[in-house]
Amino acid sequence: MLSFSVSSIERVEGVARDGYQKQVMEIYQFISDHLYFNRPDLEVKGERFNSAILFSLLTGLQEGKELIIGEPGLGKTTSAEFVCSLVYQFPLGVIWGSEVSGHPEQTEEKIIGRPDLGKLNRGEEDVVWTNFSQIPVKIVDEINRLPETKQSMILDGVDRGNWEYLNEMIINEEYCLFATSNYQDGGTSTIIAPLMDRFDLMVESRYPGANLSFLIGKGRGKDRILRHPKYERDLHRILKSKIPYLKKISKMEEVCNAFGAYVQETLGVKPLQRAERGRIRAEMASLDMDLDASAFTRMLLAECSFCERYGQKRVVERCEEGCHYTGYLCHDIKNCASNRLPVSIKQYAQGLAWLLEDSEIDIEHVQSVLPYTLSHRIQWREEILSQKERAKRDDPFPIFLSKEAVRAVAQRYREQSEHLKDALAVGSKIFQGESLEPLEGDHPLYVEIKKDVHSRRI
Amino acid sequence: MRNSTSERRKAEPAAERLNPKIRNPFEEFKTFTGEKRDLPLDRIVQSTEEVMDRIRKGYEKLLEEEAKELVWMVQYNTIIKAYEVAEKYIKEIDYSAEDIEDFCFALENTQRVPYLIPGPAGIYISALCNYAKEEEIVLKLSELKTEINLIGFRLPSGKRLAIEGDTGDFTGIGLEGGELVVEGNAKNWTGAGMRGGVIWVKKNIGLHTGEWMMGGEIRVGGRIRSLGNIVEGKVFERDKLVYPGKARIPNLYY
Repeated sequence: MLSFSVSSIERVEGVARDGYQKQVMEIYQFISDHLYFNRPDLEVKGERFNSAILFSLLTGLQEGKELIIGEPGLGKTTSAEFVCSLVYQFPLGVIWGSEVSGHPEQTEEKIIGRPDLGKLNRGEEDVVWTNFSQIPVKIVDEINRLPETKQSMILDGVDRGNWEYLNEMIINEEYCLFATSNYQDGGTSTIIAPLMDRFDLMVESRYPGANLSFLIGKGRGKDRILRHPKYERDLHRILKSKIPYLKKISKMEEVCNAFGAYVQETLGVKPLQRAERGRIRAEMASLDMDLDASAFTRMLLAECSFCERYGQKRVVERCEEGCHYTGYLCHDIKNCASNRLPVSIKQYAQGLAWLLEDSEIDIEHVQSVLPYTLSHRIQWREEILSQKERAKRDDPFPIFLSKEAVRAVAQRYREQSEHLKDALAVGSKIFQGESLEPLEGDHPLYVEIKKDVHSRRI
Repeated sequence: MRNSTSERRKAEPAAERLNPKIRNPFEEFKTFTGEKRDLPLDRIVQSTEEVMDRIRKGYEKLLEEEAKELVWMVQYNTIIKAYEVAEKYIKEIDYSAEDIEDFCFALENTQRVPYLIPGPAGIYISALCNYAKEEEIVLKLSELKTEINLIGFRLPSGKRLAIEGDTGDFTGIGLEGGELVVEGNAKNWTGAGMRGGVIWVKKNIGLHTGEWMMGGEIRVGGRIRSLGNIVEGKVFERDKLVYPGKARIPNLYY
């Protein structure tokens, strides 16, 4: 379907070639060929990808948290379901049975767990955990239909994989989260900022175009491809059982492996087993940013957090006109970048570099993931929104604005990368005890370096 | 106790007054040795500066030798001597026509060239033009506030020197077969003693034009204030031959 071919990813240099990249690319290819038809909308190092499938795969592999936005019926939930099914070896029936849908009447009991009523009658307190809280694949459908007060219920679980009910808790050792969100309509709420910040990235599930859409209309039965009623029943039985959670995990793994073998045999694509996912994560974690990627990320973080007048960005403080740093991102935004942003950037850049079999995270990996990790976290000033609202674009407005911002920062980085790296190197030397002065430069990062150096001096 | 701590702190060198407990946030850059990118533009600027320095030094030497009291009289022997000194320094410099133009503007910048004495400056510029590699030189001097004297001195055969702007006195004197084009006006004594070649002055020309000229042509697009005592050669005013011909009274205004 797509121009991408698995053979084109053969690379000489890069991380250990144990074939997992090929296996993951085969999953990507299978989804794009048979399950989720869409056009590629992202190019990285000459390879073209569909951002929704690519980032969903990386979310599954990196235990990330992804927000998928889009118009109704454009495959937000189904793309996540297909990816989760193939990355975690769960039949679709189990995934459907563990999804949480966002609606105003949603309760903690339906999302996390409820008291065991039978035991309660006998005077014992026990929790019946929901499938959602137990399985590593978590999909929240239409999250913005959850009222703002109820969104707080899932904050901790989303962030740490800790699910608490009564006095009991289960901790997901391995989990990823997908949430879908429609554009604003009468029944939607705003996603609260703390929950929004917990998502590592946001992608749009786009309209595939009239021709691919026509093909989707012609072909039916995609949902049956990844079903297996027997394994689904087995998994439901395990999930409902009263055995300890850790034992459930190992029992589920056995069934999942059997389902994985079935998928490989019938569809020719090999899903990933738990140990394989672990090895892939270890390989990804071994990848570090090269100096340019690091300096560029620092530059962007500085622009997203710096305020000369008030010490840092704060959503309650307004950027003054006439500030020297008017030309930088800090002037255009209201809030401050959170510490989760660099974590998300590195996590997904690692995933992308690993997938492309590169030995380091370079600036192109970072530039590719940045707009998606940034777009839902930035609160733009009203003036900027009204200025750019009607600009010609191909992306949803928040992603478009982030792409523009990343492009502008990249341009600034190109202009002063050497001096910036020099300044960071001088900073390092000062920390090592050399008697030097921090380098001067016209960017918030130079000021941040000075502040760090100053804090080092007693 | 507090005093002794603060005294001890003062006694320690700056590099040691650091808190070792704070993690180095720039750790990964510790081995970075900024590779200075060699930009072609930087190289060009640097080499241009070096050439300009040498040209400037040559001019300063000329002033030291020929205008000790910062006074220079235009006499036949002083011109010849100054030109010989200029030749001596210029022969050692590898420069281009652009460098000559830069030097003309540097002359007006007192921070770069302390003294602009129009006579020696003109001789020096003429020598630069005569020894330049290029056969055709265009000097865009219309923005220059000072009109340079003696420009085009001894311009040899095969060379073409075009000046955009006005020139001072003694333009093109002793021309030796070259083609000198002045897009603006020229002052007095233009073409004096020239032996061959052509001087084109697009606008007007001053007194004593062609004094003791021995050959060649002077063509003027505007008016000639007066002709000098011409020995040989032709002078045209607005395409009309004025010498030889019905001679005007030399050195008289009309």
